[in-house]
Amino acid sequence: MSRMKVTKIIIYILLIGAGFSFLYPFYWMILASLTPESQLGNFNLLPLEISFENYLLMFSKIPIFRSLLNSTVVAASSTTGVLVFGSMIGYALAKRDFRGRNALFFIIIFTMTLPFQITLIPNYVLMVKFRWVDTFAALIIPSLNSAFAIIMFRQVFKGIPDDLIDAARVDGCGELRIIFQVLWPNIIPTIITVGIITFMNSWNEVLWPLIVIRDENLMTMPQLVTLFAVGGRSDAQLGVKLASAVLLALPIIIAYSIFQKHFIRSMASSGLKG
Amino acid sequence: MKRISQYGIYLFLLVILSACSGGKNDRDSILEYWSSNNIGEITFSQKIVEAWNLEHPGSTLKFQPIPEGQSSEEIILAAVVGKTTPDIYSNMWQGSVEFYAKANVLIPLDTLAGFDNFIRDRCDSLTIREITSSDGHIYQFPWKINPFMTIYNKKFLAELNLDSLPETYTEYLNAAEKFKKDLTGDGYIDQWFGNTSVRLVWYQRLFNFYTLYIAASDGLPLIKNNRASFNNEYAIGVFRFLQEIYKQDYFSKEDQTAGQDPFLAGKIASKFTGPWEIEYLERYKPEGFEFDYFPIPVPDDHQGPIYTYCDPKSIVIFNTCREPQLAFEFIKTMVDKKGDLLFLQSTKQLPRRKGLDTIKAYENFFNENQRLQAFVEQAKYIRGMDNCEVITEVFDIITQEYEACVLYDMKEPEKAIADAERAVNILLGNRK
Amino acid sequence: MRIQSKKSMISYFLVSPYLVHLILFVSFPVIFSVVLTFHKWNIISEMQYVGIDNYTRLFQDRLFWKSLVNTLTFLVVHIPLQIIIALALAYILDQKIFCKGFFRATFFLPVVISGVVVTMIWKQLYGVDTGLINKLLVSIGLGKVEWMTNKNIAMISIAIMATWKNVGLYVILFLVGLQSVPQRYYEAADVEGASRWQKFRYITLPAINPTIFMVTILSTIGGFNLFIEPYIMTGGGPLNSTLSAVLYIYKQAFEFYHMGYSASLGLIFAFIIMMVVVIQKYMIEKDE
Repeated sequence: MSRMKVTKIIIYILLIGAGFSFLYPFYWMILASLTPESQLGNFNLLPLEISFENYLLMFSKIPIFRSLLNSTVVAASSTTGVLVFGSMIGYALAKRDFRGRNALFFIIIFTMTLPFQITLIPNYVLMVKFRWVDTFAALIIPSLNSAFAIIMFRQVFKGIPDDLIDAARVDGCGELRIIFQVLWPNIIPTIITVGIITFMNSWNEVLWPLIVIRDENLMTMPQLVTLFAVGGRSDAQLGVKLASAVLLALPIIIAYSIFQKHFIRSMASSGLKG
Repeated sequence: MKRISQYGIYLFLLVILSACSGGKNDRDSILEYWSSNNIGEITFSQKIVEAWNLEHPGSTLKFQPIPEGQSSEEIILAAVVGKTTPDIYSNMWQGSVEFYAKANVLIPLDTLAGFDNFIRDRCDSLTIREITSSDGHIYQFPWKINPFMTIYNKKFLAELNLDSLPETYTEYLNAAEKFKKDLTGDGYIDQWFGNTSVRLVWYQRLFNFYTLYIAASDGLPLIKNNRASFNNEYAIGVFRFLQEIYKQDYFSKEDQTAGQDPFLAGKIASKFTGPWEIEYLERYKPEGFEFDYFPIPVPDDHQGPIYTYCDPKSIVIFNTCREPQLAFEFIKTMVDKKGDLLFLQSTKQLPRRKGLDTIKAYENFFNENQRLQAFVEQAKYIRGMDNCEVITEVFDIITQEYEACVLYDMKEPEKAIADAERAVNILLGNRK
Repeated sequence: MRIQSKKSMISYFLVSPYLVHLILFVSFPVIFSVVLTFHKWNIISEMQYVGIDNYTRLFQDRLFWKSLVNTLTFLVVHIPLQIIIALALAYILDQKIFCKGFFRATFFLPVVISGVVVTMIWKQLYGVDTGLINKLLVSIGLGKVEWMTNKNIAMISIAIMATWKNVGLYVILFLVGLQSVPQRYYEAADVEGASRWQKFRYITLPAINPTIFMVTILSTIGGFNLFIEPYIMTGGGPLNSTLSAVLYIYKQAFEFYHMGYSASLGLIFAFIIMMVVVIQKYMIEKDE
C-alpha cells in the first residue's frame, strides 16, 4: 500500500475516532434517560431496556414544559429587541451624522470589553429596586440591546451604497421604514447571524436567571434543569436528571440539524469579527 | 410592513408590561398563610384553615403552599426583598430566624397577648431558651421536629452477629470493618456500612458533623456569647471518628447521587436520617426489605441519654402583617393539643411538644404507628440550632475543615477544629 | 438650523434604546458597583458604610486568590489543548476527505449545546466508580483516575471537558484560516521539495498566527467566565480546587448575602481580566 493510502487510512481512523468521541456522550445521555434507574450502570453501547419512566417522573416533578415556554419567550423577545434596536443604532452610526456619534461608537466598543463580573451584582440590585425580581422583565429588558449586534449592523450598513438610501428618502420613506423595509432585505445573512447567536446565547444563559428568578414557574429551561440536577427533588435519581438534560438539549439539536450551515457560518463570522 | 412593525411594538410593550405586574396579589382575606410543599403539611394546613374560616367568617385566612423554587429559604428571601411576604409562614428553619429577626422583618411574638402562657404549656424551658433571640425577644414559634437517628438494614445487621446494635464509635467502626466487602473482586469496595453526604454545601454537615456533635456533647452549642465554642473534645472526636471511617473506606467517598438509592439497593447497611425516610422507604422498598432505627453513635466514654439534632422548623409572623394578634390566634389553633394531633395524623412528623408520650389523646395514634415510637422516645433529648445570623457561613467554614480533615486526611482533627474556630471568630468579630 | 436639529432629533431617537440601556444597565451598575464596595449590605437590612474594609478583607482572602490560581490552572491546560486539537482536526479536515461536512457538524455540535447538558453528561463520565471513562480504562488494564475527587486533577478534568465543548468552534475558525492560505505558496514549496512538516511549519503556521491569537483571547475570556461547570460538577471542591472566581462571587452574594464584599470581588476581578486582555492584545499588535 502506498504511503498516501496508509496516511489516508490513519486519518480516517482518527477522524472517526474523534467523531465518535463527540457523538457518543450525547448518545449515551439519550440512552441513559430511556433506561430504568436500576439498569443504569450496566449498559454500554446498546440499550438493555427502554422505558419512559424517567420522563414521566420528571414531568411530575418539575414544570419542564413551562420552562421551555419561558425560555422561548425570553429568547424570542431578546432576539427581536436586539435585531430591531441593533439595526436602528447600527444604522444611525453608519449612515447618519450627529454630535457624539464617534464618542458613542467608542463607548460601545468599550462596553464590549467590560467584563460582566463588575455589573452582575449591581444589576441584580437594580432588579430588586425596580421590583423586577421574579418577573420576565428582569430576564428580557437588560438583554434587549447588544453591543455586538450594533457593531455587526453598523459594519454591514456601512457597506451599502448611500444612493439606495437617498432614493428611498426621495420616495418619502421615514428612517425606520428605510431600515426595515429597504435595508433589511439586503442584509439577510447578517440578520441571520446576529439572530442565531443572540437566540442561542439567550437560550443557554443560566447565571443571570439563577440570580433574578426564584419562582419555579418563571424559570428558564437551563436554569430549571441545573437546579434539578444539583437539588434534592430528583431524589438522587440519575435517569430522571438526564431526562431533563435531554429535553434541554433537544430544541437546539433539532434547530441545529436543520440550520447547521447557518449556525456554523454565524459563529465563525462572529469569532472572526471579535 | 409598517402595520406589522406597529403590532410588533405593541405586542412587545404588552409583554414588558405584563411582566412588570409581579407583586403582591390582591387579597380579600385579612391574612395570608404559607406552608411548605410537603403533601401532608398541605393537607393539614387546608383542614386547619378551613376550620378557622368557619369560626371566623369576618377574618378569613388565605392559604397557599410556598411557591416552588430551588429552596424555600431562597423563596422567602426573595419575598422579603420584594416585600411580598405572607403574614404567617410555617416552614422556617430555626437557624434562619435570627437572620430575619436582626433585619427587623419578623414580629416579636412575646409582645403578643397570651404568648407566654401558651408557649410554656407546650414547650419545655430548654426549647424556649433555645429559640430566644440575642435581644431577648422571641421571634418564632417552634412547630415541628424530625430527630435524626441511625436507620439500619435489619438483615445485614443480623448477619454480622453483633452482640448488640453499635452504640459507640468503637462498636460502629468494628461493625463497619466486618461489613465492608469487595463483592466483585475488582479491587474496589462495593459494600459499605453506611454513607453520608460528601457534598460541600453547608447544610450537608447537619446530617453528619452536627448530629454527631450534638450526640457526643449532649447538645452543646457551636456559638456562645458571639464566639466559637466548639473547640472541644467532642467536635474533635467527631472529626476523628468520621476521618477514620473514610480512611478505612467504611463509607464511599463518591457523591452517591448517581444511580439507585444505596440503602434500598443494599449497597449500604445504615444511614443517619430522620422519620421522613420511613414513607419513602415503604413506597420503594423491595420484597423482604426490613429496617429499623437506633440512636446516633457516641464516643466510647459517653454516659446518659443520647441527644440528637432535630431539624426544627418554626412558625413566624412577618412584619408586613397588619394583624399580628389575629395571626397569633390562628397559630394557636395549629399547635394546640387538637392541632398537634391533626398534624401527627396528616404528616407523621412530630410536633415540638413536650411529653408526647404522656398525652392520652395521642395514645391511639402512636399505637397505630409503632415505627414512630423510637422517635418519640428520642424527642425527649433533642437540640435545634444556635441563634446566629451567619450560621450558614459558620457551617461553610466547618465544611472547609471537614473536607480537608475528614475526607482528604490532610489535617489532624485538632488542627482542623482549631482552624475552624479561628475562622469563625474572625467572622463573628466582623459583625459590628 | 431647524433642519439640522430635526435631523439630530431623529438620530437621537434612533440611538435612544441603546442610550437607555447604557445608562441603566452599564453606567449605573459600574458606578453603583464602586459605591457598593465601600459598604456592607445583606439586601434586607440597611446599607452600612465600612470604608475600605471589603478591600482589606479581599487581599487577605485565601479563597479569592485560590480562585484566581484555579482560573490560571484552567487556562494553562485549556488553551494549548484547544489550539493543538482544533488545529490538528482542522488540518485533517482541510485535506480531501469524504463527508467533510458531517465531521465538521459533529465537532461543532457541543458548541451549541448548553453547558448545563455537557456538564451533566461529563459528571457521569468522570465518576470514579460508576463513570464510563474509568470503566473503559479499567477494561483495558489501566487503573481508575480520580477525575473529580482529586484536588490536583479536578480542574484539569474541567479544562478537558471545556476543550471538548468548544473545540468545534475553533476548528471552524482554523479551517477558515487554513483555507485563506494561497495555494501557490504550497505549490512553490512543493517545487522546492519541501516535506509536509516543513510546509506546515513555514507556510501554514505563520499564516494562521492571527487565528491562533484569536483562539487564545476567546478561550481566555471563556476561562474567566467559568461558572456553571464547576457549579454543577463539584460546587467548587474538592478542597476549593475548582472554585472559579465567578463561582466565588456568586457564593458570597447569594449564599451568604455579602453584597458589598461580592461587589468588591467583582470589581477587582474585572480589573484583572481587563489587564490580561490588554496585555494579550498588546502582544498581538507587537507581533504584527
